[in-house]
Amino acid sequence: MATKRRRRAFPRRKVCRFCADSALTIEYKDPKLLKYFITERGKIIPRRISGNCARHQREITLAVKRARQIALMPYTSTLPH
Amino acid sequence: MRRYETIFIITPDSSDDELKTIYEKFQGVVTGRKGQILAYEEQGKKKLAYDIKRHGKGHYVLMDYLGPSDIVAEVERNLRLDERILAYITVKLADKVDPESLKAKAAEPRRTVKEEDAGEEAPPFVAGERGSGEEAGQG
Repeated sequence: MATKRRRRAFPRRKVCRFCADSALTIEYKDPKLLKYFITERGKIIPRRISGNCARHQREITLAVKRARQIALMPYTSTLPH
Repeated sequence: MRRYETIFIITPDSSDDELKTIYEKFQGVVTGRKGQILAYEEQGKKKLAYDIKRHGKGHYVLMDYLGPSDIVAEVERNLRLDERILAYITVKLADKVDPESLKAKAAEPRRTVKEEDAGEEAPPFVAGERGSGEEAGQG
């Protein structure tokens, strides 16, 4: 097979949530906010899906990793099969 | 003086007396190194995201303090040595803080997402996440 073109347009071309609302702060202490940026398995959602800008994605990543250290967020959670 | 924030988790089966002792101990550590505690907030028992030392819950404490740069090593050393403390993390909040001006501001509440705001935009679920076979060529 020759190369297939995967024309999958990821819908998240929208603006970064945090850039749009400058009053939202990213806190490692706040699992309520952070949980929207991890998958069901506990993995951090990539930027092209979450729609964050580079800077905020980095902040989220740092926050999640810190929260994991104090058990506010999981490192991993098993999914039912 | 720098401003730091340390969160630590105390084993949930400690008595109120023990909690008080721990409080006094850390007060001593901080003031003994010419620091100043801005806040010592006992956030109570919370469920842990994963078990630590076979405990499912822990008593969380947030300590906001000022001090010279060597104070952190001392605080953490004490946290490490105390067996009642399950985990900790220290974050630097600011450099060069002037203690007097800080008293005026006190602890600024930082706005975080409330439940209603968060509900608007749930993230799309990454397809193919179930079990193994994640991202098997789907990009």
